[in-house]
Amino acid sequence: MGGDEDVASAIVSDAPRLTNLAADGARLIGRFVRAHPVSFAIAVFGSFNFAAAIVVSALVVGRITDDVIVPVLDGGEPIDGRLRGAVIALALIALWKAIGIVIRRSGATWMQGRTQADLRTRLIEHLLGLELSWIRRQSTGDLLAVSDSDAGQSTYVLGPFPFASGAFMLLIGSIVIVFLIDPLLGVITGVGLITKVVVDITGAWRTFARFEGVQVRRGETSAVAHESIDGALTVKALGREDHEVERFAEVSLRLRDELIEIARRFTLYDAVQDALPPLTTVAVLVVGASRIDVGAMSAGDLATIAYLLSLIAFPLRLIGFVLWEVSGSLAAYRRVEQVLQVDDSVRYGALATAGAAGAAGLASDGSLTFGFDDDVVLSDIDIDIEPGETVAIVGPTGSGKSTLVTLFARLWDPTAGTIRLDGRDLRDFARSALAGEVAFVGQDVFLFDDTVRGNISFGVDASDHDVIEAAKLAAAHDFITELPDGYATRLGERGTSLSGGQRQRIALARALVRRPRLLILDDATSAVDPSIETGILVRLKESAIPSTVVLVAYRRSSIALADRVVYLEDGKVLGQGTHDELVASVPGYARLIRAYEEDAAEREAAR
Amino acid sequence: MNGEMTTRAALRRLFTEIPGLGRGLLLTAGLAMLGTGLQVAIPVVVQLIIDIDILGGDKVDVASAVRRGGLAVLAMVVASFARRSATFRLSRLSAAALAELRIKVFAHLHRLSALHVQAERRGALVARVTSDIYRIQDFMEWGGMGIMIGVSQVVLAVAAMLVYRWQLAVLVVLGVTIYGLALLVFQRILGRAHDRVRERVADSMSALGESITGLPTVRAYGAEGPTLHRVRSAVDAQFRAEFKTYSLGSALFSSAEVFAGGLTAAVVGVGILLGPDSGLTAGGLIAFLFLVNLLVQPVQTLVETLDTAQAAGAGMRKVIGVLDTPVDLADPVDGAGLPDRPLDVAVRDLSFAYPTGGTVLQDVSVSIAPGRRVAVVGQTGSGKTTFAKLVVRLLDPSTGVVEIGGIPVDQVRFGSLRARVGYVPQEGFLFDTSVAENIRYGKPGVGDDGIRLAFADLGLTEWVEQLPDGIHTQVGEGGSQLSAGERQLVALTRAWMSQPDLLVLDEATSAVDPALEVSLRRAIDRLISGRTSITIAHRLSTAEASDEVLVFDHGRLVERGHHRDLVAAGGVYSSMHHDWMAGTRT
Repeated sequence: MGGDEDVASAIVSDAPRLTNLAADGARLIGRFVRAHPVSFAIAVFGSFNFAAAIVVSALVVGRITDDVIVPVLDGGEPIDGRLRGAVIALALIALWKAIGIVIRRSGATWMQGRTQADLRTRLIEHLLGLELSWIRRQSTGDLLAVSDSDAGQSTYVLGPFPFASGAFMLLIGSIVIVFLIDPLLGVITGVGLITKVVVDITGAWRTFARFEGVQVRRGETSAVAHESIDGALTVKALGREDHEVERFAEVSLRLRDELIEIARRFTLYDAVQDALPPLTTVAVLVVGASRIDVGAMSAGDLATIAYLLSLIAFPLRLIGFVLWEVSGSLAAYRRVEQVLQVDDSVRYGALATAGAAGAAGLASDGSLTFGFDDDVVLSDIDIDIEPGETVAIVGPTGSGKSTLVTLFARLWDPTAGTIRLDGRDLRDFARSALAGEVAFVGQDVFLFDDTVRGNISFGVDASDHDVIEAAKLAAAHDFITELPDGYATRLGERGTSLSGGQRQRIALARALVRRPRLLILDDATSAVDPSIETGILVRLKESAIPSTVVLVAYRRSSIALADRVVYLEDGKVLGQGTHDELVASVPGYARLIRAYEEDAAEREAAR
Repeated sequence: MNGEMTTRAALRRLFTEIPGLGRGLLLTAGLAMLGTGLQVAIPVVVQLIIDIDILGGDKVDVASAVRRGGLAVLAMVVASFARRSATFRLSRLSAAALAELRIKVFAHLHRLSALHVQAERRGALVARVTSDIYRIQDFMEWGGMGIMIGVSQVVLAVAAMLVYRWQLAVLVVLGVTIYGLALLVFQRILGRAHDRVRERVADSMSALGESITGLPTVRAYGAEGPTLHRVRSAVDAQFRAEFKTYSLGSALFSSAEVFAGGLTAAVVGVGILLGPDSGLTAGGLIAFLFLVNLLVQPVQTLVETLDTAQAAGAGMRKVIGVLDTPVDLADPVDGAGLPDRPLDVAVRDLSFAYPTGGTVLQDVSVSIAPGRRVAVVGQTGSGKTTFAKLVVRLLDPSTGVVEIGGIPVDQVRFGSLRARVGYVPQEGFLFDTSVAENIRYGKPGVGDDGIRLAFADLGLTEWVEQLPDGIHTQVGEGGSQLSAGERQLVALTRAWMSQPDLLVLDEATSAVDPALEVSLRRAIDRLISGRTSITIAHRLSTAEASDEVLVFDHGRLVERGHHRDLVAAGGVYSSMHHDWMAGTRT
């Protein structure tokens, strides 16, 4: 609710200097061009052809004026073969210009699209290798925005850039041509056109910073709309609809004012730069008349210059336009670069396998510690889990249970200390080797936009038989067969939606299909009915999968299935042993278990 | 209801919704027309200077050319100002008009129950006041200007041509018309290609989104390889589709050049063949070469504008869909205020069914005396939450009446109803600001001391003081910095601020830590003591402590009475109670 009126104005005052912008922009474009030099060269080649065709078409118009139009229409001379030549020349030049456009646009589109695709792939590749602890600290929305809109916007400057290079050549070429026809007119044309470009660039410069402000305002408007619509029930219950409308009106009107302010500036510069070519043309015509008078040039030369000026106006705008785009692209690329430069990749070892069969053992040395900055989450954890054991990790909210099991799967690395799987440091395993030994199932299940089968066999080659076996073990087979297309039913964002418990069972099947030697369940069955959960865990123990199981438990019934309980409080192990031993010896554990039992009973009763 | 509405009808509706939109539009159009003179003046000046001043006599008349040039400069300055003024006026108008429309739609949204009933539609509703409106605005600003300038440029250019040589004018107009029609066909082909691109873009966005959102899962299963492969192929497919479509687009775009060139060549050929006897001068023919370019370009712009008009029309249709949805929970005209005494609740024959079918509540009748503490229990889907929402009029019943303090709720002024009747939903929504601001939301204008006092009254001083910044602690988006139980504490305190006479409370179901649980219960006890209260109970202990229990089952009120008596009666409640007792004693 708190307004931050200063964001937009802060951005405006923070606008970088024009020279910096040009230098940074050149570096950015240079980087992209180096990656795709051929398509860039093609685009620029097309653009230069276009520019050349424009200059030549103006020269031809002048020539036609002198050779055909004036002699025939003014001098009354008969029509001769030159007319046919003129007509053919005009048509061919048009074709040349069109080919130039096609070449330029194809090259530019290729380069921009390819760069965009490369950036996105590189971003995802980089993100996939980064420490999860870093990823967790980012907002998913921000990372999505970087890989989607920022990666896109970074490359927008590549669209108009080849055209602008052609336009620049056109500017130089035109001034030179006019100068060669008549130096005085060359000076007039040069002054007129260069002033136009300068006004255009200044306008873009003055406006683009404001344009960032519009983006900020639009963001504000969406944020208020989002929040207000999400909280609609509360708004209504408290009778604050009018207040919400007022709040929305406030940001909405601020956006309006920002847009109007932009229009005020932009239209002013726009009008001036728009008027400059016609004004230059008039000056050229008047001065040109006197030059013709003294015999320095012909009527055709005048037609050439006027025609050139009428054709050049639009391409020249592209030079200012590039500046607009470059500022946006630079800002977006900076955000992309920030992610690409994060030097927090997980380092993997070379071990391809733990070299053992059957259930895995897991042990930490007593100094195992984990924390963020100054915040210690786990300290001095000493755990030794025997192969084939089922161990429940129990503790109050915030005691570090989830963090601990996350370390076991090497999703995060400990700050100090070592975790060993069958005596080998987790960090010695090769990139995907650990996933073959350890399966981790969390509370929040992510389903991919794929079939049920694809979601279960995710990332491994599993036969239909294996998938079905895993689903049966996870108590998922029955509901899967009742789905519209059974195992071929599409899930995910655009597919069938499943209940929380069903999603968790799919995730469990996904873990089991890999026949892990160590299975970690981080409250992975929280939404599954307790009786089904018990069934799953019992079947798992009896199954042919030789697995050690570590589970973070919130239910008395799941704790009952464990051979051993590890009780955590404030990031420290306060007790290890059987449930009964802990109830007798650790008061905190006994209290927590009682609270779970009461809560479960009440819930069960009030259902 | 407006599925058949055409783009034209939708845009016309825009003018009725925002009466200010038409204001000064004629003047703006006039200025745009004047502004266009800037471009069209050039061929005319070229013709005059060449024909009269240069070729007109034996000698070039420089003085006349200077006079003519001076006049032209003057005209251009005026035209330039006119154009600037037209563009700015249109930008200002569309920014203001669309802000007005946006606020209007937003206000209407808040009057619809769909906003809090259909959670899954929320994202789409946000789009109604953001992206849909931006699209209309883009069209009005750029499309509107494109149309104004384009049309006046076409009109002026054709007029100039007709003055010079009607035969050539007919040739050019005919050519341009055929070209315009061809462009329309191209546009349609291109439109279909763009649809395919949009599909590919959606695919690659979804692949990117998945790989980021599902990253922890990908890591847990060591599936980086296949994930990256999927992203790469989706992104490449998008690139290929885009390249194909844009290449087609540039071929179409460049056809304008071929066409303009061909037309120029034709004009030169025909003009010369017509010869001087037809009255065509050298300057006139040269002017035509300029005019051809002035005509081809706006035709291209106009065709493109048609395309944005379609998009704007689609946005407008969606916006109209919102505005045309009747307000289902209206503040009554001349509504009554609730009587100034403790409030009782009387419900008669209350039924509720969703329009899509599915009866949620059926023939419920009950009266609750002032000051009573009532608990509502029942299984998920028994209709107890719907009952609560009907009582506080967050929904209107299909049939039946709810009376509070003797007045039917639909005849009570919202101002009075919301001030005297408090409702605390299960998931109390918190705004992304401080704890204090969230409390103040329940009672605008209350000071920090008042807020601290409220926490103290509910026994929450200790809790609020241990927050990083006390009552000024920021709660984050949707209250994400607080736990579910803590959010409930803030929501309860917010309800306490308005000191309602009737309180309807939906108990939270999510598990909370034992310590927080104590605070929550104490706060709820203090909140409901001394006022009429209806609590949707998810714990039987709440029911046990109440004066009366209402038991819902499959949309009907099946039992009511005191906990004691209901347990003894041996019905639905009794068996629920039995399970509970059995459960705690495991």
